[in-house]
Amino acid sequence: MVQLASGRPVLSPLQSVATALSWVTTLARLVLGVSLFVAGAIKIGAPAVSVQAVKAYELLPDTLATVVGHGLPIVEIIVGILLVLGLLTRPSAVVGGLLMVAFIVGISSAWARGLRIDCGCFGGGGTVGADQDPGYIWELLRDVGFLLCAAWIVYRPPGRLAMDSALGLAGSRELGTAGDDEDDEDGSDTD
Amino acid sequence: MSKRAREASAKARAAAQREAVRKQEQRKRTTMLTTIGVIVVVAGAVTWWSVRQSASEQVTGALAPVTIQPDGPIVMARPGVTAPVIDVYEDYQCPACKQLELTSGSTLKNLAAEGKAKVVYHLLTIFKQEPTMSNSLRAASAARCVTDGAQWIKYHDRLYQEQPSETSVGFGADDLVRWGRDIGVTGADFETCVRDQKNVAAHQQYSAQVIATQKLPGTPTVMLDGQSLGTTAFVPSALREAVLDAAK
Repeated sequence: MVQLASGRPVLSPLQSVATALSWVTTLARLVLGVSLFVAGAIKIGAPAVSVQAVKAYELLPDTLATVVGHGLPIVEIIVGILLVLGLLTRPSAVVGGLLMVAFIVGISSAWARGLRIDCGCFGGGGTVGADQDPGYIWELLRDVGFLLCAAWIVYRPPGRLAMDSALGLAGSRELGTAGDDEDDEDGSDTD
Repeated sequence: MSKRAREASAKARAAAQREAVRKQEQRKRTTMLTTIGVIVVVAGAVTWWSVRQSASEQVTGALAPVTIQPDGPIVMARPGVTAPVIDVYEDYQCPACKQLELTSGSTLKNLAAEGKAKVVYHLLTIFKQEPTMSNSLRAASAARCVTDGAQWIKYHDRLYQEQPSETSVGFGADDLVRWGRDIGVTGADFETCVRDQKNVAAHQQYSAQVIATQKLPGTPTVMLDGQSLGTTAFVPSALREAVLDAAK
């Protein structure tokens, strides 16, 4: 089936795996980026609600909770946009991943302490009624999923359709291979 | 000769290559710094906007008269002001209600004082578990022992200031009496009223009735002429705008 005459068919499986993997990065960027953006956009208009959501976890002192409540939506929106654009991809994914770790810690701790919190992740603030199920397990699973996305992006940035590539900000590996032909005289740099 | 020439050209080429790499690195750094700069500026602008539009008002001047209705609600309005009506449904033990009071309480007081709205407080108990349910009932019952409107609103604010955690017993009788004394509630009947929790039954009845008839999703709920304001209630500038629009 495969043409063995030219060298290409031998290389192309490897290449297509690489291509597929970089599309996986793009998909991960979209999933994590859009989610962060939406979560931030819902909260940004009413920071007091977001502050309340942070306070509900009873983990941070009030002053710090206020700062986090105001700052979190802004960070989420910016990191979300950067991930979708594929700009500063790796650092953005690191920040996104750290946020997820913080959320996972917060939710687990609330669960362990028996607090009944509407996580406030997507706009809701404060406590849930006695009849409602806080649904911590689903929130945790979702955040673990997002964390995996972040980890993948950190591992293989920036993926297809990334501004990092367009602006030449992508990893230096590709740059290194660009201008090389001669074999070398290694000892020649004697300045 | 020829070896020398070869070496020279190789050196030149190596230098050119180094130069190219250096330029590329420099361009990369410039792009990176520009990008980071833009992000910092945008983040700063958004933060400024967010803090500004959500800033709480200060209560200047005197409050509008507060009257305690015998059936439960508390009305804060200038004489003759009947519309628009802002209904505030809240629970002394609910943390989000405390946040609402911290954020928008002063706006509500100002709007009433300016004669721009009639504010009606409905104190409820939404909790069905302990210790929150008993905390809420003790506080609400004690607040009903305050019969003077001007003192009531001070007591109401004090209760939110002193709100206990949802996981601990709070709003104890001694504290409830002391806070009343602090704001100038005198008379032995206040203390008896608080300690005996005389108003618990009346409060529970009112609370259950309001929750059932208004189909409240939870507390705090702020309604403007019967329509829930949602999170707008937590944004002082937006709250004020909505109320002024309703008055037109």
